[in-house]
Amino acid sequence: MHHDGAKRLAVCGKGGSGKTTVAGILARAFARRGRRVLAIDADSNPNLALTLGIPRNDAERIPPIPRTLLERRIEPDGSERVVLTQSPDEIIRTYGVKAPDDVTLLLMGRVDHAGAG
Amino acid sequence: MCRTHATVRSLIGELVAAGEDVTVADMEAGLEHLSRGTPRHVDTLLAVMEPYFKSLETGRRAYELGSELGVKQLFVLANKVRSGRDEEAIRTFCDRHGLRLIGVIPYDDAFAEADREGVAPVDYRQDAPGVAAIMRLADVLAQV
Repeated sequence: MHHDGAKRLAVCGKGGSGKTTVAGILARAFARRGRRVLAIDADSNPNLALTLGIPRNDAERIPPIPRTLLERRIEPDGSERVVLTQSPDEIIRTYGVKAPDDVTLLLMGRVDHAGAG
Repeated sequence: MCRTHATVRSLIGELVAAGEDVTVADMEAGLEHLSRGTPRHVDTLLAVMEPYFKSLETGRRAYELGSELGVKQLFVLANKVRSGRDEEAIRTFCDRHGLRLIGVIPYDDAFAEADREGVAPVDYRQDAPGVAAIMRLADVLAQV
């Protein structure tokens, strides 16, 4: 259950606008105020780990969510749908990495290319 | 629609929604995710803008797309603001397009310095003007 103040925040903007910096600092700031924070790096040029305070060497080793978790299904009407083969909670538990202030980071990274083949 | 993007949509939307309390998603610089439905799972969209034309326009498109898709709360965040003229440029732009400005973050060398040191801005100097302004923004967002 989400508690009342649950927030789902998307930070957008042109590359170079500072959106990653804003996202990273907001995540840490919410965490310091006692919130449980999930940070998602959906940029294809992922840099959020560094702004969250994960050291560069560690950041380079974070595994993105693998494409094997995606499965195409054909609906009864013939349309195609892509579904997750694990629950989002499982994915967060398995692939989420810890950043300072107990922020959990999930890296979408190379998922951009999943299903392309 | 390209399959690749349909994949990303389904994945990121569900994952954003799966966060237990607060989810902060750093979105694709282009608008691919946005135009393909992510905002169904997002309650607040923050369009970060620098005070120059291309940045303002990209931010405006994200904001308006979010609005069309039904995101409940949409805000502009002015970033890297060096002067009163910079701030005025963003305010004027927001007024003209009916965009809601939630905050103004001053330009701050601390960001580049933190990057050079390989540390997070909040671990480098959390009292630096730009860092502090973004941390205060979290309090503002918590209230809306």
